Amino acid sequence: MKTSLTSKDYFLEGKVNFYKNILNQIPDLIFQVTISPENDFYFSYFNKSMINFFELDGDELKGKPINVINSRVHPDDRKVFFETLYASKNKLEPWSCEFRVTINSQGLLWFKVDATVTKDVNSNVIFYCVLTDITDIKNRESKVKESQERCQFALEASQKGIWDYDLRTGKVYFSKESLDILQLDEEDGITTNEQWDARIHPDDLIDYLSNIQSHIDNQSPYFENTKRVLAKNGEYKWILSIGKIIERDENGNPLRIIGTHNDVSLNKLKEKELLNNLDIIIEQNNRLLNFAHIVSHNLRSHTGNFKMLLNVIDETEDEVSKEECFGYLKTTSNALSETIDHLKELVDIHSTIIHKREDLNLNIFLNQTLEVLSKEIKDNKVKIVNKIGEKETIKFNPAYLESLFLNFTTNAIKYSHPDRTPVINYSSSRENGKVVLMIQDNGLGINLEKHGEKLFGMYKTFHKNDNARGIGLFITKNQIESMGGTIEVESKVNVGTTFKINFNEEL
Amino acid sequence: MKNFNNVFVVDDDLVYHFIIKKLFSKCNVNANTSYFFNGLEAIDDLKNKVKTDNVPDLILLDINMPVFDGWQFLEEFKKLKENLTKEITVYLVSSSNDITDLNKYKEYQDEVKKYYYKPMTQEDFETIFVPN
Repeated sequence: MKTSLTSKDYFLEGKVNFYKNILNQIPDLIFQVTISPENDFYFSYFNKSMINFFELDGDELKGKPINVINSRVHPDDRKVFFETLYASKNKLEPWSCEFRVTINSQGLLWFKVDATVTKDVNSNVIFYCVLTDITDIKNRESKVKESQERCQFALEASQKGIWDYDLRTGKVYFSKESLDILQLDEEDGITTNEQWDARIHPDDLIDYLSNIQSHIDNQSPYFENTKRVLAKNGEYKWILSIGKIIERDENGNPLRIIGTHNDVSLNKLKEKELLNNLDIIIEQNNRLLNFAHIVSHNLRSHTGNFKMLLNVIDETEDEVSKEECFGYLKTTSNALSETIDHLKELVDIHSTIIHKREDLNLNIFLNQTLEVLSKEIKDNKVKIVNKIGEKETIKFNPAYLESLFLNFTTNAIKYSHPDRTPVINYSSSRENGKVVLMIQDNGLGINLEKHGEKLFGMYKTFHKNDNARGIGLFITKNQIESMGGTIEVESKVNVGTTFKINFNEEL
Repeated sequence: MKNFNNVFVVDDDLVYHFIIKKLFSKCNVNANTSYFFNGLEAIDDLKNKVKTDNVPDLILLDINMPVFDGWQFLEEFKKLKENLTKEITVYLVSSSNDITDLNKYKEYQDEVKKYYYKPMTQEDFETIFVPN
C-alpha cells in the first residue's frame, strides 16, 4: 500500500537516492553495519563496489551476516574482528581493524576497515565503514621484517655485532651482540667513539687509527682492523672490526660509518698455536738437516779411510807398511764407533719425548762438577767465582745439568789465556721469572764472526783434534733445547767468553 | 815426470796424511810435502813462505777442519793470491757430498781447480800429480 508523500518526503527520498547513486559509483568499498541493543548484528548497506568485489550473491545478502563474515574473513582473524567491533560499539569510538579475507577469484588479501560510529534514536549502533586493500603494504612489511630477521639471524649466527658511528655527534650505536663481546650491556653506557677508543690496547691504537684514516682518505674501500679491546672482566679480547663510510659531506668528510664487530680471540689463539707448531717443525727440520750434515761429513770420512787403507794393504808387499795400515784401521774403527755413539746420543736426546725432570739445585751440581775437575783446576791454577744463589733451583734433567757444567768448565780451562790466571765466574739471575745461568771466563775468546756458526754446530765437532771445541758444546746445546731452554754466547778474542743459558721450566 | 817443489796437504785426519804419503811413494812422485792439521796452520805457514818466495805449487785442501776450515783458508788465500808471483793450484779434497759445500765450491772457481771426493783413489792422485 502506498501512502501519499509530502514534498519534504520527496526531497528526502531524492537526497537518499542521490547519495546511493554516488556511493555506488565510487570504487571504494563502503558498507554499513548495524548492531541492535540486543546485539543483533546485520549489514545495513553495501555499495556496488563492495558487492562486486566480495562477489556477494543475492542469498548471501538476504541471509545471515555471520555467514558472510565466516565465509570471507580468515578464521584466525575473526576473533579480533568481532572483539574490536564490539569494543567500538560499547565505547562508541571509531572502529579500526586489519584482517585477512579470502575471495574466490583473488585469493588471500589484507584489508583494513575504518569506521565512524553513531547511535540512532532506537539505540542501534551504526558503523559507517570504508575498507582499504592493504595487501601490498602488508607484503612489503613482511618482506622488510623477513629481511631484518634474516640479517639479525645471520649476525647472531656469525656472532657479529653492529656499530653505527655518527661523526657529527661522536655518538656510536653498539648492538647488543657488539657489547656482549666485551661482557658489557646498555647500562654500562658505552655510547661514544671516545669511550670505545679508550678500551683499545695501547699497542694496537696506532695501527687502528691509521687503518681508519686510510679508509677516510679513500685509500681503502672499507675499514678493517684487528685489535685488542678491554672487556669488562679486565681481559683483552681480539676484535675484528670492518666498516664502511656510508655518508660524507660536500667536502668529502665522513659523517657516518657503519660496520661489524667480530670476536676473533679464538682464531688468534689458534694462530699463535699454529706459529708455535711451525717453529717446532722448522727446528726439527733443521735438526734433520744437521743430522744429514753429520752423516755426510763424518761417517763418509771414516768409510773413505777404510777403503783407502784396504787398498794400500791389498797392493803392498811390505809387511811393515801393512802393520802400519792395520794400526790406522784400528784408529779409524775406533773413530767410527765414537761417531756412531755420538749420533746415538744425539738421537736419544731428541727422540725421548718426556724427559726426566727433577728439582735440581744449581749450586750442588756445580760443586759436584768442581769436585770432579779438582785436579785440572789445581793444575791450571783456575780461580772459581761462584755467585749462584744458594737456593737457585731448576726443573731439569740431572744428567744434562751434570754434562752442562762439565762441558762449560772443561772448555773454559782448555781455552784459558796463557798470560793470565784463568777465572771462571758462575752466576744466576731471573729474567721474566725464568732462571738464567751465566758462565764467564777470561780465556782466549772466540771470534764469533768467523767461528760463530760453527761453535754449536757439528761440522767439526766429531773430530778428535785437541783444538776442536769437541762434541761437548753441540750435545749440551741439544740437551738444553730439548728441555725448552736456549743458549747464547758472547765472546771477544783475548778477552773471554760468556755463555748464557736460559732455562725454561714451562715446557 | 813433473817435480813439485812444494805441496801442502791440509787435513785434520792423520789417516788421510798417511794415505797421501803412501800414494806419493807408490806413484813415484817426488815432492816436498808439508802436512797441516787445519787451515790456520796452513795459512800461517803460507804467509811465511810468501816472504821467502818459497810458496807451494799445489795445495790439497780439506773442507771440514777445526779452528780454520777449508772455506776460511780460501778466504785468506784469496787476499794473498793477488800478491803472488807464482800460481798456486788448489784442489779441494773432502768427504762431504753436501749440497751446501758443493754450492760454496762454485763461489771459489777462481781459487780452486777441482773438487775431489774422499776416498782419494790412485787414479785421482795420478790425474793431479802424473799428468799425461
